[in-house]
This record gives sequence, C-alpha cells and structure tokens, in this order.
Amino acid sequence: MLAANQLASNNRATLGVHLNENFMSAPPLLQLRNVGRVLAGRTIVSAMSLELDRGSVLGLLGVNGAGKSTTLRMIAGVLAPTTGQVLIAGEDLREQAQSAQRQLGYLPEQVPLYGELRVVEYLDFCARLHGLRGAALARAVAGVIERCALGEVRRRLLGNLSKGFQQRVGIAQAIVHDPALIVLDEPASGLDPVQAANIRNLVRELGRDHAVILSTHLLPDVQACCARVAILHQGRLRRDGPIQALDGDAALLVSTTTTLDAAKWKTIDCVQDAHAVDGAWRVHLIAGAAPAQLAKAIVDNGWGLNEMRAEDASLEQMFLHIASAEEARAVA
Amino acid sequence: MSLILARNELRRLFAQPLAWALLAAVLGLLAYFFLLSLEAFLVLMPKLAGVATAPGVGDLVALPLLRAIASLLLLIVPLLGMRAIAGERQSGTLPLLLVSGLSDARIVLGKFLALLSVFAVLIGLALAMPLTLELGTTLDLGRLCAAALGLVLFAAALTAVALCASSYAQQPVVAAIVALAANLVLWMLDAGARLEGVTSSFINYLALPTHLEPFLHGVVSSVDIVYFMLLAVVALTLAARRLGAVRTQA
Repeated sequence: MLAANQLASNNRATLGVHLNENFMSAPPLLQLRNVGRVLAGRTIVSAMSLELDRGSVLGLLGVNGAGKSTTLRMIAGVLAPTTGQVLIAGEDLREQAQSAQRQLGYLPEQVPLYGELRVVEYLDFCARLHGLRGAALARAVAGVIERCALGEVRRRLLGNLSKGFQQRVGIAQAIVHDPALIVLDEPASGLDPVQAANIRNLVRELGRDHAVILSTHLLPDVQACCARVAILHQGRLRRDGPIQALDGDAALLVSTTTTLDAAKWKTIDCVQDAHAVDGAWRVHLIAGAAPAQLAKAIVDNGWGLNEMRAEDASLEQMFLHIASAEEARAVA
Repeated sequence: MSLILARNELRRLFAQPLAWALLAAVLGLLAYFFLLSLEAFLVLMPKLAGVATAPGVGDLVALPLLRAIASLLLLIVPLLGMRAIAGERQSGTLPLLLVSGLSDARIVLGKFLALLSVFAVLIGLALAMPLTLELGTTLDLGRLCAAALGLVLFAAALTAVALCASSYAQQPVVAAIVALAANLVLWMLDAGARLEGVTSSFINYLALPTHLEPFLHGVVSSVDIVYFMLLAVVALTLAARRLGAVRTQA
C-alpha cells in the first residue's frame, strides 16, 4: 500500500509540475463545467458546475431519478456529457481519458463483480487494470483487503458473498489503485445498519487524503460522513455548500388550538416567518432565538399550544423547502 | 494492457463449466470421427494398393477431420464468444473496463486474444490426432501445418464476428444466434453460384470455404490470408465502435 501511495504521489507530483507550467495555479481535482446530459430526448442533468478538491467528501443528495447516477457516470467517464466538460486535475476526461481515469476510482450503482472469480483474483485484476505491477500490486491488494475487512472471504467466490461483502469488494475495487478521486454511487445501499456504519467510517477515513464524491438518498449517510452536500433535484444543482448550513435551516413545527394566520405569528418578536403545513405551522426563528421564547410567547398570547417539535431535517422536507423557495422566487 | 484483460477473460472462461463442456464435447466428437475415418481407410487400403494415383491417408483421414473441425468451429465460436461483451453488459461489469482508461479497441482486442487462444489450443489438440499416424506411416507435415494456419485464421475471423455480434446485442443468447447466422451465411454464400458452375466470381471470393479449402489442401496463398485478416479487422473495428457508442449513447 505504501509503495502504491508513493507511486501515486509521484504521478501526482509530475502531473502538478506539468500543470503548473500551463496554468498559474494547480486546477481543482474535479471540475464540472456546465455539464449537461440528454438521454432519449429527456434532459437528465442540466448545466451543472461543481468543483471538488482533495481532503473533502461531497454528498450528492437527491430523490430517485434526480440525476445522481447520471452525474456520477459522467464524472467517471462511463458516459459522455452532451454539453460541457468534466476535468480531472485539469485534464479533459474525454480527450485525455487514460491519464484522467488513472486518477479516479468508481463504484457504480450495480457493483461490477465477476461472480466466478475469487475476491483476491478479482482485486488483483482490478489493480492490474489500473496499471499496478509486481510488489506494488501485491501490497495494494493486501492493503485494500485489510482496509475493507475482506480477510475472511479473500478466497471465496464473489458470486457466493453476501450483499454486504459484495458492496465492500465494490468499494475495494474503487480504491485499490489509490486514486485521488473516489466516486461512489450509493455505497451503503442494501446494507444493514452495522455494515452501513462501517462503510461510513471507511468513507470518512478516505476523505482525509482523497477527494470523495458519493450519492445517496439517505440523509444519515450524508450527515455521518460528508462535510459538504450538494442537492440535486430534477437534474439541477439546487444547493451546494457545507452541511452545517443545512442544520441552520431547521424549523419548529407548532400546532395550536386557535386558528391563526401568518400575520399573527409575525407579531411575536423571535419569529422570522411562518408557513401553514398540514394543519400545523412551520415556524422559522430569527438567529439566536431559543424555542423556549416562542413557547412562552404562544402561552402568553393564550393561543393554546398543542404541540411543538423540532422539524426532522429529512431530505423530503428539505426538498419541499427548496421547491417552495423557488416558487416564491418565481412569484416575486 | 490487452494482455491483462485477456488473462482475466481466460480465467473467467475456465472458472465456468461452459468452456470445459464445449471443448470436451468437440474433442470427443472429433476423436470418434477420426477413428471412423481411419477404420474406413483401413478397409479401403487393400483395394487402393494397386492404383498408382490413389488418395493417401492425408486425403482420406486427415482432410475429412480438418473439414469437421471447421464445421464445428462455425457452431462453437458463437457459443463461447457470446458472453464476451453482451454478458458484461448484462451483469453490469462493463463500467469496470470503461473506467480503467483502456481504449475501446484494447478492450475488444483483449477479449479477442483470449477467445482465439482457446480455439488455437482446440485446433492444436484436434490436429494431434492425425499427427499420431506419423508413428505408422509418413505424413505430409507441411500440409498439416498449412491446415493449422488456415484453421487458426478461420477461427480468428469467426471470433471477430462473434465479438461484433456480442457488442451489439443486449443479451448473450441474441449475440450467439446473430453470430451463428452470420457464420452460416458466410459459409454458404456461394453455394448457389457453385451449383451453377460459377467458381471465380466476387460472390465466391466473399464466401469462407473458398479461402479455407486451399489451406486444407496445403496451399497457402496471400489472398486467403488477407481475406481472413480483413474480415477479422472489420468485425473488430465495428465491435470497438459499438463499445465507444456505449459511452455517448446509453
């Protein structure tokens, strides 16, 4: 593993020199410029721009059909974008496919396993395919087997492994050549909670010295291992930023016995705004205000407080929020 | 890089029963056929002894066997080659190769080399049968070598056609059927013309037997070598192009 690391960093070093001659500063590891994709007349992804550097984990969130997998396939170079370009360390993925792809590891949605091979044989093949040889190859395979905890199944046939192990072999395949950029399409799908937690730990660990981009529709995945989150909805990037910014959006769901309107809520000092949702109110507080202040104000006004709880920051609600914000913008 | 892929293909082929079963069945059939021809020759031999220009063991035992090898190749090449690309597409393993930085041409070439080496071994084993006759009689070894070369070239062309079908088909079975149909068309293309007595037209040139027969009779000509190579190159190029379209279309 060590030698593989050295090998990879040597490559990076020479690459860096080469790039610095052409550009004033090193370009970001991954750069999407206005990337769009049309499939069978339908726009799956449109005008997406994104940058990602080493040492960060980006979670790509979205409901099914939002365009997550298509985006990741374009980043991996398995699918060519209809418009725009994907650059890896400044190299166009289409024009310099071989050298650009050397720097990335990809786990597709459907784990690409040859059921008739043994775990060791398969990983050996994947490492060779990415250019590893000799002692570096043996170390890389041994290292990844240890890292993904595959020791007990190393001689087993891939086709006979459980879903959890297959998923782990899939991740091992993506990282065996120590790529700078790791692209994981739903790495924790179909795993039990313990296995999912292990995968998250692994991803967090990888994020320390690699750039990782992963897609998921599960918020816990993102909360557990991503510092940055990009929300994809109907093929468009709706939000891209640190995950803490999302937590700041948390609202309170309040229901009262008296019927109220938005204007009445505004009379309370600590309320920023309020929207009616399913017979209750979603109330946003101004920065620094505590829920207790709101509760006291409601009781003081005699509105008859029935229930007040922090809204689960679920993906669905985040989408509703994004969608409603957009509608509001369209109206204004 | 293609060799790494070829090695892995071979490992996968022989990790499954299909290749073993096909090779065993084909070699068994050929052995039986060989013994039958030999027996027939031994019965005929006393009668032939007096004839000055009588056909020898090469014509009566080796030639039918060589033709049998060719006919069986028409059937088994599509079967063994059907999964090469269509199978990867079906099991979702194609992205593994597409992200490796390997060009489409190299992917196709790797698969081609793996399959061709299997058929070359098969041809070698089958030719070992008439070679055993060397113990009791004198064989025209040059003629056998020419036949071996011809059969390998023939297998190369068929393998390329099978790969081409496999790259277009969504399911391996469809690939096998299409490749088999293509083989049979190429095999019988000039049958009608030959019935009419036409033996040197363009349609004769296109058919497979026109170019295989001379090899089996010990005649190696550059026209025939070029024909098989051309067929292989065209089919492999089409396969690589189709693989490239996967990245842009689907």
